[in-house]
Amino acid sequence: MKGPRILGEEEIKIEERPPPPLERIKPHKWLSAKDLEDYKRLERDGYELYVSKIAEEKMRNHSIRFAEIQKEAMGLLLGWIYRNCGKEYTIVKDVVTTDLESSSVHVRFDRDAFEKLFTSLEEAGFDYLVVGWYHSHPGHGCFMSSTDVYTQRSLFNSSRHTAIVIDPVNKEIKAFYLDGKSIRTREFAIYWDEYENPYYGTRVKKRELRSDPDCVAPTQ
Amino acid sequence: MPLRIKVRNAESGATVEMELEGENTIDDIIEGAAGYWEKDAGAYVLRRGRRLLRGQQTVAEAGILNNDELELIPDPEGG
Repeated sequence: MKGPRILGEEEIKIEERPPPPLERIKPHKWLSAKDLEDYKRLERDGYELYVSKIAEEKMRNHSIRFAEIQKEAMGLLLGWIYRNCGKEYTIVKDVVTTDLESSSVHVRFDRDAFEKLFTSLEEAGFDYLVVGWYHSHPGHGCFMSSTDVYTQRSLFNSSRHTAIVIDPVNKEIKAFYLDGKSIRTREFAIYWDEYENPYYGTRVKKRELRSDPDCVAPTQ
Repeated sequence: MPLRIKVRNAESGATVEMELEGENTIDDIIEGAAGYWEKDAGAYVLRRGRRLLRGQQTVAEAGILNNDELELIPDPEGG
């Protein structure tokens, strides 16, 4: 019996597209003072990673929910890679997850729950790349453990890939990537699309207070 | 008669076209694609739509058809 034979490969083309504008990005509220300094330093030049508000909320809420039962949370980052002025950047548009085999120091997908994960991928509603993964360290701080580094090296070994680590107990978040053999931190911004603005499509007018003779102020 | 399928790497978006025999297993497909992209085959799972394709199943048993598109999905582990 012959093994499978590869006949050819087709790669994606990286599209030129400007990143989210300054008025639609913010630092994550759980950044440390030092990370916030780094964020501000890069604000003008742009970031290598932009995480949507929706994806950030899902990751944070997942991590908080699992911290309440002293367990780690985990999922995949879905997005795409773009180029702007010769520089590549990644957009994380959404995240997907499924049931987990999890403890306070270890996490992986439940072996019987892949179909739930695949349903989420089918229903993502956009062409995606798995641009990395997220997981939580409830109460242990944000760093890459030896297991995390092994995962990064065996699965996410391109510098485009990101590992987001969240500690919901200490309210910390950090993003990491593999640069050759070294793990480095990556500054990132939270962005929101125009349609995610709560006042999108409406004009908010200042209303004047009317004095109503029939309205009597409540007395104590 | 050999089958031709496409396997998409979910991490890079790249797709390989692959020729298979009915007796090839899902593990053969994962190893072939992961090997081509220099990845650790044991750290991936393969999907056909919403369905997980199991390692020891043959192509025929898994119901893989000519021109099917499968996707290689990373299966991370955190600590």
